[in-house]
Amino acid sequence: MGGCTMRWPERLWPKKNYPLGGFLTYGLLILIAALILLPLLFILSSSFKNESEIFTFPYRFIPQNPTLGNFAKLMEDFPRYILNSVKVTAIIVIVQVITATSGGYAFAKLYWPGRDLLFLLYIGSIMIPLHSIIIPQFILIRNLGLYDTHLALVLVSVFTAFGTFLVKQFFMTIPDSLLEAARIDGATEFKIFARIMFPLSKPVVATLIIFSFRYFWNDFFTPLIYITSPKLKTLPLGMADFVSEYYTYHGPQMAASLISIIPVMIVFFAAQKHFVAGIVSTGIKG
Amino acid sequence: MVRTRKYHSFAIVAAFLLPSLLGFLLFFFLPIVSTLGLSLTRYSGGRTASFVGLNNYLTAFRSRTFQNSLLVTFNFVVFSVLFQILLGFIFAVLLNKQLFARDFFRSLFFLPTVLSTIAVAISFMLILNPSKGPANDLLVFFGLRPLPWLASPRTALATIVSVTIWQSFGYYMVIFLSGLQSINPNLYETADIDGATAFQKLRYVTIPMLTPTTFFCFTVAIIKAFQVFDQIFIMTGGQGGGGPAGSTSVIVFVVYSNAFYHFRMGYASAQSVILLIIVLLITVIQYRKQRKWVGAL
Repeated sequence: MGGCTMRWPERLWPKKNYPLGGFLTYGLLILIAALILLPLLFILSSSFKNESEIFTFPYRFIPQNPTLGNFAKLMEDFPRYILNSVKVTAIIVIVQVITATSGGYAFAKLYWPGRDLLFLLYIGSIMIPLHSIIIPQFILIRNLGLYDTHLALVLVSVFTAFGTFLVKQFFMTIPDSLLEAARIDGATEFKIFARIMFPLSKPVVATLIIFSFRYFWNDFFTPLIYITSPKLKTLPLGMADFVSEYYTYHGPQMAASLISIIPVMIVFFAAQKHFVAGIVSTGIKG
Repeated sequence: MVRTRKYHSFAIVAAFLLPSLLGFLLFFFLPIVSTLGLSLTRYSGGRTASFVGLNNYLTAFRSRTFQNSLLVTFNFVVFSVLFQILLGFIFAVLLNKQLFARDFFRSLFFLPTVLSTIAVAISFMLILNPSKGPANDLLVFFGLRPLPWLASPRTALATIVSVTIWQSFGYYMVIFLSGLQSINPNLYETADIDGATAFQKLRYVTIPMLTPTTFFCFTVAIIKAFQVFDQIFIMTGGQGGGGPAGSTSVIVFVVYSNAFYHFRMGYASAQSVILLIIVLLITVIQYRKQRKWVGAL
């Protein structure tokens, strides 16, 4: 790099980074950043544009005549879709927190025959494609008389291998002596769980909540199988319907996309470390 | 230290375990066993099913549609997995250095993975609209030929693979980043003392130390890629999708349309068992390879 005389401030290039390598690195990073940002800006900007302005060239990110008309077109069905999504997601997340923490406790701190084998089966279930169990699951739900109900969506999501694993791994780090002391003092298992273990597990429960929230807020396949009534549809399913019915309503489609993205984005920027923790805690164990 | 311990009483274990175990047994374990049974029957969703032995499997393997879906799925898996992991690795290495606005880039690259696949798919359908979408405007602006994107059987699958990579490579970047941060810094110091170049450090320290992480990424990415459905459903036209000309008709899409559109549930079960066996085989092979590879280090 002898020919390169330009010196950058040290704080930009702390280590032995050569300017040329730096240019390449930043060039690549900025290129990919643009590729990610531009579609997101497209959604944002198209949501507030007239139909005729969405596809103008040269492209304008700031709408010439900003309008809320696209959102108005969604007023008929989408408030209900959003409400359904909020309701279903909230119930599933709460149920998963209960099953994952209580299950995690049973696997980490209780002793019973077959424990390790069952845990292995739990973990193994992660490898099973959801789609290869969906048909009997569907038949079962239908025979229980739960087809086209929100309860169906909740029931098939009660079991969470990921959540149980996450909580169990965390509970394992809490020394048994703490529990023994409580047991000697006469605390029941329920008291130990409710007063000691559950409060301690706040960070890992936060990770689980955020992970489940993201998954079920975005889940499309399960509602697609179980829900047919328009009044019960969740947001992703409603969006798919809207697109196939009003395929020329591009502005409203983008407005709907924006609505579905924003809650997750807010949670993402507020609690990014939990998203990362969720991925990493399952990942590094290998 | 192994101590013999008294088991907890059945009632206590049951109270803690039952909520999760019931869900597991009813909605996971039972269905998996039933899929195997259903796959041996002709069943259209009614009250009766007739036993047909391995007929559904024979039909599946003779069916052009199913053969095609295996090929399409295979293509999707190979290209989406390779690029997601390659990009995830490259940007993890780049963003593990001290860089200006590093956290911004990390967050931004990770962001698409948390967004709704449906919303992403809908948006890219507009962006990639062949006649008026901004993507082709941009290509023409740079003097390139506009692409048909989702409208041609030659480019539709590649388009969906690209959108999938766009949305998912950040996930693997995060896994690689945490793998990188668990590498002992002494290794790099030793390499520095030996006068290793940046490339040599990457080749002889980073990549070997990341082998377990890489295997993990491949396992997760492959399992996910075999299950691709949402993008295909939305971007190729819902229940009648999988086109143009079957070019994006992946296994799960074929299973879905057989089971829930044509109500050939026995046949669809056989296809889903084939999917299951493929995924399990690949996972087991990878696991054994990993033990050999990682053990050799």
